[in-house]
Amino acid sequence: MEEFAQMDVKARMLLHFEVEQFLYHEAQILDERRFDEWLNLLTEDIHYWMPIRRTTTLAQVDSEFTKIGAMALFDDDINFLRMRVAKMSAGNAWSEDPPSRTRHFVNNIQVVGIEGDDIQIKANIHLYRTRLESVEDSWIGRREDVLRRDGDSFKLARRYIFLEQTTILSQNLSNIF
Amino acid sequence: MSNTRPEVIARESWVDADKGTVDRRIFSDQAIYQQELKRIFARGWNFICHETQLPESGCFFLSYIGEDQVIAVRDRQGEVQVLLNSCPHRGNTVCRSDQGKTRSFFCSYHGWNFDLDGKLVAVPGYESYYREKLDKEQLGLQKANRVESYKGFVFASLDDDAPDLETYLGWVGKVGIDLIAERGDMEVIDGIQKNRIQCNWKLAVDNLYDWYHPKVSHGSAVRAGMIDEEGLRYMNQMVMLGEYGHGISGADIGEENLAQLKQVVAAGGDIQGPAQGQVWRTTDKAEEAMGPVGVRSGGHPNIFPNLWVSAAGPPQLCLRIPRGPFETELWWFTFAEKNQTVEERRAAVMVANHVFGPSGLLEQDDGENWSHSTRGSVGAVTGERPINFSMGLGQDKMTHDASGQSYIDTVVNEHAQLWLYRSWQEWMKAESWPDLVKNHSAPPTGDV
Ligand code: FES
Ligand SMILES: [Fe+2]
Repeated sequence: MEEFAQMDVKARMLLHFEVEQFLYHEAQILDERRFDEWLNLLTEDIHYWMPIRRTTTLAQVDSEFTKIGAMALFDDDINFLRMRVAKMSAGNAWSEDPPSRTRHFVNNIQVVGIEGDDIQIKANIHLYRTRLESVEDSWIGRREDVLRRDGDSFKLARRYIFLEQTTILSQNLSNIF
Repeated sequence: MSNTRPEVIARESWVDADKGTVDRRIFSDQAIYQQELKRIFARGWNFICHETQLPESGCFFLSYIGEDQVIAVRDRQGEVQVLLNSCPHRGNTVCRSDQGKTRSFFCSYHGWNFDLDGKLVAVPGYESYYREKLDKEQLGLQKANRVESYKGFVFASLDDDAPDLETYLGWVGKVGIDLIAERGDMEVIDGIQKNRIQCNWKLAVDNLYDWYHPKVSHGSAVRAGMIDEEGLRYMNQMVMLGEYGHGISGADIGEENLAQLKQVVAAGGDIQGPAQGQVWRTTDKAEEAMGPVGVRSGGHPNIFPNLWVSAAGPPQLCLRIPRGPFETELWWFTFAEKNQTVEERRAAVMVANHVFGPSGLLEQDDGENWSHSTRGSVGAVTGERPINFSMGLGQDKMTHDASGQSYIDTVVNEHAQLWLYRSWQEWMKAESWPDLVKNHSAPPTGDV
């Protein structure tokens, strides 16, 4: 964090711009269902994780999310993400065929730290989808990403997604956040 | 969608066990749904939680009996209480966290305070406003009429007349729970996956017996390499039908396979691969608890009405909680042995996280079919055509083991689904527990 704060304002603006462009590009290819290209944006050691959230009292709010190693909604490595994509493209993945129509909104992007090649990002996410006649789902949450420098762009090395819903109000989570 | 049709609830029969058909209206009719809440959920024994979710006094977990929300809590004496989450003053909820630890249940409306056993212990204004005229003894939180635990699995019923839990479960229900309980000293892993599907709860329940659908419904998981097509080809089935609607349907581990495994274990042999997950079955303790037939079950049990025991992979339970005729909440509880190594636990969690739950590569596609089947019960004409559960009907027979455990040894079939609906109808027609005890069908003994 220090490192980023100490950078001069132009360097910070440039980095912020690069990060933003990367995340917007990623959102676009997800919405266009170019999942194989999306896989190319990931590092081999990516951890893609969405914990389970519970309603707790304010006093116990530090236990509202499950921890890594406990049950989760997503807990994927690169191989499993490849499998998700293979499934979606299989031609008989009924939850995604006919396909969901999705729109990813990424905003409130913040660079919160830099460690070597790794840049830690926080952003808000709104994933909206409709399916078939009348299915409409809307998930809002926070993403904590790690982007790793890769030539003149980045790769996604970590994505943690913290949704605002506790009980998931949709009949599945068949999309990528 | 308004779907109260007096003529539907008055029908003589919704299930034709001879033809293997079921009236679709039972998936969409509002009056039938209301009757289910009373005659099935309030009456039956409902899984509430596992004792390991309540490690100490004050630990609680919010759960449901149908649409009645209940608090499972360990009281000061260490007993598990199941309390209706509704203040007797105005009906407000007294607990709004899914889980946690508390000293009491404090009502946020006017401040009545309830002890962990539901007793009303404090009423603001008791002297000044009520002038001591309030029968506090009578105004505690309502307790579930019956609470019992089977090997750490806590069940409750809202009916005084329910038989005791073990009688209710019978051998089939007990084998169902034993498929998890007999593996060792089990606990619930933190995190209950919950999500909502726009389907009737019964369609979610009957699917757990359905070994006809995986190749098609989950065909994309096969293509992606998540499930082995070979495994789906082997479809010898063993079906056990229990009193009051319980059932187990699915693979038979096989007498010879189990005997062979026993020998390898006894000789101290090295067991690799999927067989490792079956070693627990080779102990005398497991065979004694489950019987020679039950211990071979590799199938899917349902504890009537809505508790699926999924034991083929990491041991899990899935509750199918009704939320109106058109909505069901799925709650996944995942179990592990307490003394597992970190690596073993990690491996089990990964499998559990990837198969079921809303993002699970299998379950993603199930909800799609259940919600559209539910929708198929709505149209004025569409809804009048019965749906079909006739696979194997009239073509199989019960095999009677010397132990007294009977089962159907067959191929993929719909016996357990039909048994579920047939029993469901008996529950719905019965006026009371005594009526149900007297008039329910015993599981078939001959041809099925
Ligand atoms: S409603 Fe609970 S104290 Fe009044
Ligand atoms: Fe399925």
